Amino acid sequence: MSEEILNGLAEAIIRGDEEKAKEMAKKAIEANIDPLIVINNGLMKGMQKVSEDFNKLIIYLPEVMMAAEAMKAALSILEPKILEKKVKEEKKKIVIGTIQGDIHDIGKNIVALLLKANGFEVYDLGRDVPVDEFIKKAEEVNAEIIAASTLLSTSMPYMEDLINLLKERGLRDKYIVMVGGGPVTREWAMSIGADGYGEDGEEAVRVAKELIKVKKK
Amino acid sequence: MITIWEVLDRVETGPYMEEKDFDIKVIAKKCRELVKEYDIKYNPEEIVTTDSSLADDLFEAGLKLALEAGIYCINTKRIIKFSEEEIKEGIKSAPSEIIVGQGRDSRILYARDIEDKRRPIICGGQAGATIPEEWYVPMAMSYMKEHLIDMINHGGLAIVEGRKVRTNTPLEIQATRRELAMLREAAARAGRPGIGLIAGESSVSALGDLAIASERYMRTSDSHLVALLNELKTDYDRLAKAVNFTEYGAYNVTLVDPIIGGYAGGPEGVAITFIASFLLGRLLYRSEYHVCHPIHFRYVSTSAPECMWNLNIVGQAMARNTKFIIMGDVWTSAGAGSEMIFYEIAANTITNVVTGTHPLGVSATNGKYPHASGLETRFMAEVALASVKLKRNEANEIVLKLLNEYKDKMGKPDIGKPFPELYDMKKVIPKNDWETLYKSMKKKINDIIGGIIEI
Repeated sequence: MSEEILNGLAEAIIRGDEEKAKEMAKKAIEANIDPLIVINNGLMKGMQKVSEDFNKLIIYLPEVMMAAEAMKAALSILEPKILEKKVKEEKKKIVIGTIQGDIHDIGKNIVALLLKANGFEVYDLGRDVPVDEFIKKAEEVNAEIIAASTLLSTSMPYMEDLINLLKERGLRDKYIVMVGGGPVTREWAMSIGADGYGEDGEEAVRVAKELIKVKKK
Repeated sequence: MITIWEVLDRVETGPYMEEKDFDIKVIAKKCRELVKEYDIKYNPEEIVTTDSSLADDLFEAGLKLALEAGIYCINTKRIIKFSEEEIKEGIKSAPSEIIVGQGRDSRILYARDIEDKRRPIICGGQAGATIPEEWYVPMAMSYMKEHLIDMINHGGLAIVEGRKVRTNTPLEIQATRRELAMLREAAARAGRPGIGLIAGESSVSALGDLAIASERYMRTSDSHLVALLNELKTDYDRLAKAVNFTEYGAYNVTLVDPIIGGYAGGPEGVAITFIASFLLGRLLYRSEYHVCHPIHFRYVSTSAPECMWNLNIVGQAMARNTKFIIMGDVWTSAGAGSEMIFYEIAANTITNVVTGTHPLGVSATNGKYPHASGLETRFMAEVALASVKLKRNEANEIVLKLLNEYKDKMGKPDIGKPFPELYDMKKVIPKNDWETLYKSMKKKINDIIGGIIEI
């Protein structure tokens, strides 16, 4: 029975069906399934499949966005149960944005969605984000990662400014800094002292997970 | 055609909408509906299609999207809508040929037809990349010295006089002016002072662009790219560029680069978005010509099969239903100095030339590294000139063969070598190794494509 519910929940996420996702979340509560199991074996299982299909271009960005909305809807139903059970989710907060001077945001949106799909709590600051705004938000939400993206080579120096400003404020070791975007290369990311780089969304998620693991050790 | 004043009025008075709603409820939803309604299907076995009715259906779907969606301005959050009458006026008034460049270096840039036998215009350069200032002149010369290259679209500067250029700061003005000054110097040194330019790549905001509207930098026979943001969006920077060049009298060129896998969906939705973008770009920016640049969500390159299918079907749809002048980008995953780049260039160029667009490239490594030179663009030109002999079905057969040679390597391409390792920097001629590789790859590929390139 519980497997049927969890599979139904995963399926609702894959289809981006908000109503069905809510219905299955309610059924999971009625069946008294541990909310952590509901999250991992239902919601995340569905989102994992969505990520995989997107990476293979079987589905596209709108479908990923719909799946993320369905997951949000299911979580809103599960939330009281989560609080009641005092299930503490692993802290994986990430502040992300397209850095100063650049208004291109699809790449960043894709990465933000894939991070959400992989269980991160994502604070998306949008586009043309001033360097200090990343830091302010990270401090406010107590994030672990700051991720900056750009499609413009002339906005890349602002990424360097971000790292320098963290150093100036004595905050560099507090945050994992990741960079990415069209003209950004792995070598350049390392040269400015970033901790991680993603050639594409899939790599960004993998690197973010790995860096968090390393940081915790 | 609608005036620029009326466009600017609509930027401020059009219907208000949240951007997320425009992305999802307008673009994603309508693209999905139109793909279904018009039965637009991507066929990986027919990268170059002979199905003209599919091209016409695509055009109708794109026209409908243009009418129903309009263009979203991200500054005002308002939609700039155009009526069917205005769109049709834009189509009717579009020039079918223009003169680019000056004097003996000028060329007639014209609207190509499908299977057009006329010589295509070759636009060369490492567009999209940032080029180190110290190599800029010799690298630009390497393209200008190639007699088959008719126009230049080279990269921008990210560092000028040792200073990193930050977007929307005074250094952007310096970088853009320096780019133009160096292009002029390169043109004079290559003996082609009047060569037509698509330039101002260092100007990512409007600042640099505003600073080059002068005969000293950009001539009125030159062009600049004005992008539509993804998907069907604009902003005040882009509009300022268009307004400035409209008054100055140089050419506005719509750069359209929808993402396969993005808001418009798969290859089919992107193709519909292209048509709508060209039709609306004509009205919004008063563009004289347009650049077709599909972006692959994963590989970026226009040589990816879904991208080439887009170049093919969009080119055909526009050629059959308008007299718009369109250039098709040639962006490769691989870099100059590799074998792989030749296969990508050949497949991409054949697709473009046979289906109604002029080739614009080669932007090697997708403009990520300055691993490019004039020599591989000579190869692009040679393939382009030979491709006029091909029918669409023949082109498709060849493109599929070429694609087989590189499609599995696109995830991890050979990025080749930087320009100074490929060229003698003083004489500005290819080094022996690079020229030998070019000759052997040209022969190898000529064998695959039936010996159509003149050796």
